[in-house]
Amino acid sequence: MSIPEWLRERTGWDKIWDALFARRIPEAKGWKSWLFTLGSLCIFLLILQIVTGILLAMNYVPSPDHAWDSVRYIESHVVLGGFIRGLHHWGAYFLVVAVFLHLLRVYFMGSYKYPREATWVAGVFLFVIVVGFAFTGYLLPWDQKAYWATVVGTNIAGQTPLAGKYLLEILRGGPNMGPTTLTRFYAFHVLLLPALLIAALAVHLFLVVWHGISEPPRPRRELEAADSEKEPRP
Amino acid sequence: MEEDTGGISRRTFLGRSIAAIGALIAAVVGGAGFGYFISPVLRGEGQDEWIDVGAASSFPPGVPTQVEFTHRQREAWVTTERKNSAWILTMDGKNFTVYDPHCTHLGCPYRWNSQTHEFECPCHGGVFSVTGKVLAGPPPRPLDHYPVKVADGRILVQVSALRAAALKAKDSKAQA
Repeated sequence: MSIPEWLRERTGWDKIWDALFARRIPEAKGWKSWLFTLGSLCIFLLILQIVTGILLAMNYVPSPDHAWDSVRYIESHVVLGGFIRGLHHWGAYFLVVAVFLHLLRVYFMGSYKYPREATWVAGVFLFVIVVGFAFTGYLLPWDQKAYWATVVGTNIAGQTPLAGKYLLEILRGGPNMGPTTLTRFYAFHVLLLPALLIAALAVHLFLVVWHGISEPPRPRRELEAADSEKEPRP
Repeated sequence: MEEDTGGISRRTFLGRSIAAIGALIAAVVGGAGFGYFISPVLRGEGQDEWIDVGAASSFPPGVPTQVEFTHRQREAWVTTERKNSAWILTMDGKNFTVYDPHCTHLGCPYRWNSQTHEFECPCHGGVFSVTGKVLAGPPPRPLDHYPVKVADGRILVQVSALRAAALKAKDSKAQA
């Protein structure tokens, strides 16, 4: 018995494979069909971020006296370190853009409507999580741009009515920016947010497969023409 | 839909194209990532810096002199400073030998006995000649010395190269 056959009997992977990759999807023509690839693009970029992020974490130190030096070490001493860091850096920008384009596609095609509201809600959580990744990751190089961006970013949180003062201290790990902010943001970036992301992504992807992809919207006259070709209503 | 285009269907063609492009992307990212991961193996040991331990003219010929210096060491993103010392010997004022200040037996600091003209280790009675040869006691090998060069009248030594060399000597001994 071959290995795939052995596994098939015990896991039913072929059914899972078919459900994921051989499912029926709506027909879309021209450039609009490309809009349906944005979700896959997000997953691709996400995997890229995970792989490069794991590698970067091997040399990065979330401490004010070493953070910048360790990033410089990655750039100048690790084999292909600049390339891997570049992928993570640009991948982060691309991921935020791709997730937002995906959101726009779903919004303007009305794909969030019944019965896919839960998919949409999980997707909005994912969007917020990705933005959280971008915000916390931005601080980690601990250069001037990173530092002051986070000063401003946390100050914005501090403007929240009533709770602002407390939010600011919770985000920074204290009243001022410093070592506690850096370790906190690092923990958010590599532990907390990935855990939330996996949970929200599991729900999101399951629902995408469960409901199938929604059809692209069509003009009313096209729909009416299609209706009149069918049997007349009683 | 399934037009005959020379024995390969549109579906097969697209499937293979996706697989090929996917494999290419995986190879680039995976290859780069693997290189990054095994970077410690690919990167050789860094060049040791030369440490200035004093002017060549300040050491009288024939008599070992102990010098103290600060050794700045940079390992990845951490720079450490440690105090170090060495015994410097010159016979002619031109060629210098710089001894590691530790006995080759168990690493105790030894001292110079100006009466007997020998190095003596107080721990277990190791005795070395002025050229570092073992004269008495348990030391297994002559005194270790640092790589040294003279430039512009200053004596420069490489401190961490010795440790690596000593470790290698130990390894080859263990294998023998």
